[in-house]
Amino acid sequence: MAVQRSDAELARDARSGSEAAYRELVARYATPAVNFTFRLVQDRALAEDLAQEGFLRVYQRLNTYDPERKFSSWFFQVLRNVTIDYLRVNRLPTASLDALQEEGHQIAAVDRGSASPEELAGRGELAAAVGAALSRIRPEYREVVVLRYQEGLTQPEIAEILGLPAGTVKTYLHRARKELAEILAGQGWGPAPAEPTAGKAV
Amino acid sequence: MDRKQLDAWLKAEQRGEDDAADAAFAHLFAAVPKVQPRSAFVEQAVIIASRWRARRRWMLTVAWTAAAALVVAAAVTALVASPLLGGSFVKAVAFLSGHTVPWLVAYASVALHGWLTLGHVGAVIAAALITPGRAAAVVGVELLGIAAFYALHRIASTERLGDAQV
Repeated sequence: MAVQRSDAELARDARSGSEAAYRELVARYATPAVNFTFRLVQDRALAEDLAQEGFLRVYQRLNTYDPERKFSSWFFQVLRNVTIDYLRVNRLPTASLDALQEEGHQIAAVDRGSASPEELAGRGELAAAVGAALSRIRPEYREVVVLRYQEGLTQPEIAEILGLPAGTVKTYLHRARKELAEILAGQGWGPAPAEPTAGKAV
Repeated sequence: MDRKQLDAWLKAEQRGEDDAADAAFAHLFAAVPKVQPRSAFVEQAVIIASRWRARRRWMLTVAWTAAAALVVAAAVTALVASPLLGGSFVKAVAFLSGHTVPWLVAYASVALHGWLTLGHVGAVIAAALITPGRAAAVVGVELLGIAAFYALHRIASTERLGDAQV
């Protein structure tokens, strides 16, 4: 039974010139990288380009990676810097709901005439609604949500990546959830009314 | 992802239970699909990296070759040409230094004198103007400026993503 090598071991081997190790590293982080950049730029092709640029930057700087540090934190820090550098030079237009729909997101408007939210949730529209709501909150909130809830990083790790105090990250997460809740509630996804108990039924 | 998870999260948010809301949202958000890269993404990244490495290797080879060639050329020139050019080279250096060095020394003396004069004038003006109160005011203004710059830096750091609204 083959033991899976750690990210740090793969990084060390890739630095020594092992193409297989680098390939394994890219395979592990391709989806998180594209997903993370997409949440920031809202464009799939651009997200892939930036992720490629991020991987190249990581490859070029493997000699600066400290194996004592968690690789994912270092990786996301490099990737984020690449994305921020791009956004500083190229101001992107605000993503419209139409554009998001073209990108494959289902817009979270609930057509109560044709189906109840309960029925729509069963068809995966709730997931799409949350995804679309995510695209409408502030970018700095968006990135902490993705790093925390999709990549499973801890608050101190996110703080290290973003160069922010851990308390600020906690505040961002709190506010991000609040904003998402407000957006979803505004689109008809508010808490369902409590079902009446049998004893109280008239 | 189902409606019960959504309700659990939204109710926890409404009640202000941060930890419960965090856990419920994590559960809910785990079902949001990740954006997947194209199938050729990994191969493309590997190709880009290997091209970069090959290019870097080629540039290093060229740089080392050029440096070695320059050293060899310099050595050959020194061995072959110096006996022929040595006499005229020494004469040229002697002529140039004989005609330029005195002028350079003279100009430097004039410049030094001017600089010292300016220094004296500045010292006199400073002595007349600077009092402890004024010095304290200048330091205060500088401290205010540093504080304002620091605050601006913090604001810029916080807003750097917001500035590039997407």
